[in-house]
Amino acid sequence: MNAQLLATKAYNGMATVHPEVPAISVGMGTCGIGNGADTLYDALVDAATGKNIIIKKAGCFGYCALEPLLMVYHPDRPVLLFGDVKASQAADFVRAASDEAAYAALAPRALCKLSSWDFRTAAITFGEGFPDVPEWNELPFFKGQEKLVMRDCGLIDPESLDEYVAVGGYSALARAIGSMSPDEVIAEITSAGLRGRGGAGFPTGVKWQMMRQNEATERYIICNADEGDPGAYMNRNEIESDPHMLVEGMAIGAYAMGASTAIVYVRAEYPLAVHRLQKAIADATEAGLLGDRVLGTDFSLTMRIVSGAGAFVCGEETALIASIEGRAGRSSPRPPFPAAKGYLGKPTNINNVETWCNVPVILARGASYFRRFGTDRSPGTKVFSLVGKVKNTGLVELPLGMPLSDIVYGMGEGTGSRKRIKAVQTGGPSGGCIPADKFDTRVDYEALAELGAIMGSGGMVVMDEDNCMVDVARYFVGFTSAESCGACAPCREGLSQMLRILTAITRGEARAGDIATLERLSRVVRDSSLCGLGQTAANPVLTTLRYFRDEYENHIIGGRCAAGTCEALFSALCENSCPLHMNIPGYLALMGEGRLEEAFELSLRDNPLPGVMGRICHFHCQMRCKRETLDEPVAQGELHRYLADTIYKIGAQKAVWARLVDEKLPSNGLKVAIIGAGPAGLSAGFYLARLGYEVTIFESRPAAGGILRYGIPAYRLPKEVLDTELELWTLLGVTFVFNTAVGVDVSVDALSSRHDALIVASGAHADRSLGVPGEELDGVHAGYAWLEEFALGTAPVPRKRALVIGGGNVAIDTARTLARLDCEVRVAYRRSRDDMPANAVEIKGAEDEGVRFEYSLQPLEVLGTAGRVVGARFRVMRAGGVDASGRPAPVATDQTVDIPCDDVYVAVGERVDASFLSGTGVSVHTDGRIRRDALTCKASDSIWAIGDAVTGPATAAEAMGLGKQAARAIDEALMKRSVFASLFKDFGYSMQVPPEPVEALAMRSPEVPPSQRRGCFAEISQGYSGNQAVAEASRCLRCDIRANARSPWR
Amino acid sequence: MNTTQESERTAPAPGALLSALENAQRENEYDYLPESILRRVAAETGEALSRVYSVATFYSFFNLKPQGKHPIVVCRGTACHTRGSLGLLKETADKLGFPDFREDEESSFTTEDKMFSVRTVACFGQCALAPVVSVDGAMYSRMTPARLCALIDDIRRGDQS
Repeated sequence: MNAQLLATKAYNGMATVHPEVPAISVGMGTCGIGNGADTLYDALVDAATGKNIIIKKAGCFGYCALEPLLMVYHPDRPVLLFGDVKASQAADFVRAASDEAAYAALAPRALCKLSSWDFRTAAITFGEGFPDVPEWNELPFFKGQEKLVMRDCGLIDPESLDEYVAVGGYSALARAIGSMSPDEVIAEITSAGLRGRGGAGFPTGVKWQMMRQNEATERYIICNADEGDPGAYMNRNEIESDPHMLVEGMAIGAYAMGASTAIVYVRAEYPLAVHRLQKAIADATEAGLLGDRVLGTDFSLTMRIVSGAGAFVCGEETALIASIEGRAGRSSPRPPFPAAKGYLGKPTNINNVETWCNVPVILARGASYFRRFGTDRSPGTKVFSLVGKVKNTGLVELPLGMPLSDIVYGMGEGTGSRKRIKAVQTGGPSGGCIPADKFDTRVDYEALAELGAIMGSGGMVVMDEDNCMVDVARYFVGFTSAESCGACAPCREGLSQMLRILTAITRGEARAGDIATLERLSRVVRDSSLCGLGQTAANPVLTTLRYFRDEYENHIIGGRCAAGTCEALFSALCENSCPLHMNIPGYLALMGEGRLEEAFELSLRDNPLPGVMGRICHFHCQMRCKRETLDEPVAQGELHRYLADTIYKIGAQKAVWARLVDEKLPSNGLKVAIIGAGPAGLSAGFYLARLGYEVTIFESRPAAGGILRYGIPAYRLPKEVLDTELELWTLLGVTFVFNTAVGVDVSVDALSSRHDALIVASGAHADRSLGVPGEELDGVHAGYAWLEEFALGTAPVPRKRALVIGGGNVAIDTARTLARLDCEVRVAYRRSRDDMPANAVEIKGAEDEGVRFEYSLQPLEVLGTAGRVVGARFRVMRAGGVDASGRPAPVATDQTVDIPCDDVYVAVGERVDASFLSGTGVSVHTDGRIRRDALTCKASDSIWAIGDAVTGPATAAEAMGLGKQAARAIDEALMKRSVFASLFKDFGYSMQVPPEPVEALAMRSPEVPPSQRRGCFAEISQGYSGNQAVAEASRCLRCDIRANARSPWR
Repeated sequence: MNTTQESERTAPAPGALLSALENAQRENEYDYLPESILRRVAAETGEALSRVYSVATFYSFFNLKPQGKHPIVVCRGTACHTRGSLGLLKETADKLGFPDFREDEESSFTTEDKMFSVRTVACFGQCALAPVVSVDGAMYSRMTPARLCALIDDIRRGDQS
């Protein structure tokens, strides 16, 4: 055997892998090139002309979100990794490579460093230095990764055989064919416990043994590189970045199984992978590592590449063989298995790219080394493509058995936005959607299968609240239905019928029974299809039905797509995301046409508190406004408010209100009691009164409005606006019973017996406590309770130094109120400013008013003297890894800090207290929230529950939306009729697409300057002028003008 | 038996028919396989014309209609779908005068002036940079409808001048 050959190559390769002169390498995978790595490389070569610097191409290091990636190396120093490098910076990097001062200046900007690297088949120590730059595996994205397969990716030139050999490449092949029998090789793979990385996880050693057992003169081995799973691209990177590891793995397999021809079936969409693999095969053949008498032994192997032509089913082994034989890729029944009768009728073994790539490591380091990684059932690592709605996208290689949450939140760092992660889709069209509440699952073959998903080739697509799960199921079935080869009826016909039903659901044309039909079809297709494509194609449907059934029901029964994906189910994204489904484009159009009274009437029918909500809404609509992709969302709230204020100023509301009173449906003699006169109860009462019910609202406080009156301070919402708008309820005949607490002054049973329906809208305003010593001291106040007392005029006079603990809107409202009372106010919060749940504009306002914010402080104790507060002690926190809320988790440090103060206001959240419902048959969650049916809000036979009482602290708009939903459901249940749509009216406005938009930021209302706000509770925002309103309304892009747009209240 | 005969026949190189068709399409000015070419490939490879046709219609890579001068390929992989690629496809179809184009009914369309062909691909494998669109063979990552429309306008202007 020719050992000298490898030694020479290793020597040559080491000169560039671990050079004695400075070197710069650029990650040149397809992703890198797509982001400018090629122009960057050219610029580096130009800049380095005449200098003693190595500029080289490398594979991809996997951190795709930061392409192009660049590494800088100085002899005896760590390799430094830089991300998102522009060609214009080439000269800077070349200077840093050649000049010590420039190098020292550049180093701190590195993402991370590699002091040494474990190539698994070799190890290199590069050097020490730069203590402030983190080691690569200290970055969240790389933390916990074990690069067994991607051992060379990004560190060697994929087109250099010498470099591959320099890091131990082909040593495993040399060992196998030089000193092991084929049976010994198979035994090693078997005892390593390697399982197929293409998805199903079949033990590789067993598969090889089956092949070896078959007598034949000719045998074939095949690499499946037809990576057809949309969302997975690890095989592309493995070939592009390190083609020789595949060649070596296959050569070892060919030796073990007695094959003399190896075929790599690569998909046509991967031209760079084909090119590099071709070169690798040619170089290896020339060097005697392939071809006749490999390394001077009796073993010979020819390797060929077959380029696929785009057919997902060719990932199925029988179809793949048909394709290589030059036929249409249709599956055929097994047995016979390819191991007995495969390509050209000969014994054939097929393994996935990544399976082959594991082989050299196992042979070089032994089975026991491989078994150090992963779990007993699933040893080793797996490469996943972490993509979709996640901040750090890229390829991650991790030991099997790691919890999903570590991958999504740890490595991926969440969505990188305020959006919530809803699910992760694994395994592509054969896999399933795993909901966020199952993220503690440890990823291995069995655990994923138990959830109804599969490991598949390793695609991991993160989905957030804007992704519709019915649409996801439809997408995958659309894909598999189109890709079905048509050979068997269950797959061909079943999938197309499933697609028909799913399409009907996404278009709002389905019926309730369709879900059952879909489920039955899914099981038939799964159980009776010929090959893996059909057998697994129902997984996306079955898992979404299992975990997201409410979304299906909301599409079919509710007629809505909450995620805003299924276009046929809404008019515009603003309307769809508004919990009240206000026809926002409609009244903006009417305003634009100068038809203010009609605009007001349209908006009032959708939302009976326009002046209030225009001021204090969370503006869910603005978060999905398409105008944001151009400049800024339309300031819908300002317009809503302007509309209401203007109408009230001219008194035009009277006529509109009279119309609503006139058109009330005739009394149906049914009585409804509502507990709570907050936004939820008011909304339900408004609609039920118009539907002809006799409505009585019971309220423990002396006036209506709930949080609008007693929580939100007057500088945000003047109470006169609320009072004006509440007149409408009286006109509609709603009766209020104030100062009456249900459960104390009147029993639930008494209310139930006197009414046909009871609605619980009692809110969530029991303040949470800190759970630390000292909370009982005089001077410790509960935040929400204090705001309420202040609004009622019963709050104790605050002392000078106020300390507010918390970061939500209640905390900021408390702080700004105290600032107006001339206190010195500090707010302590346990995370950072960016992570505060309070509205950004409120935080900014508080800062303008002189409120001091202290971040990263976790309360430990309230300090007191003689029973009276003198301060509070905090643990200093630091930002840790991203948690399930998508924000960095606060992690304790050993530091503490004391803040002296005279009063402490605890505003760390509120909870639901529905204890007055005990014994009524209504059940509650462990945190106190009332359970109810998601579509109808029904909590028991005669009790409906809405608002914060069911959601926990949420927005006023969400509470009102539930009130509206419950009113409709109650009427449908009690009257067995469907008349809700008659409460709305078509005003007829322009449906012309507006002219091409000109970039223009939203209009800003004038404000009372911060210097004049002390002691003053007058409203800060002054509202739009008429001209501003017209200009702002014209910024609407009118997304509702579409062929299939529906009215929000069809 | 059948298989015995097949194995005795001289085996063609693995994947020979696919390669022959891929090459023939690449050499065609309009990037497609007209009947004449299918007949030629059948004659050259010794395969039955029916089998050549079966293969050409089975794989999405092959076009049986002439393609436009500028191919636009919208990736419809999962990551791209999750990040809005359907919107990109619709926007492109609207802009090029095919507002009724539905991906589950047809695989592609070509403008009448043969300037543009728009098609989809199952996945480009560039998922980390989704959504991805290829225009004239160059990859564009993190694409938006506005950028794509501007790109189409640029190409039009470039061809006219």
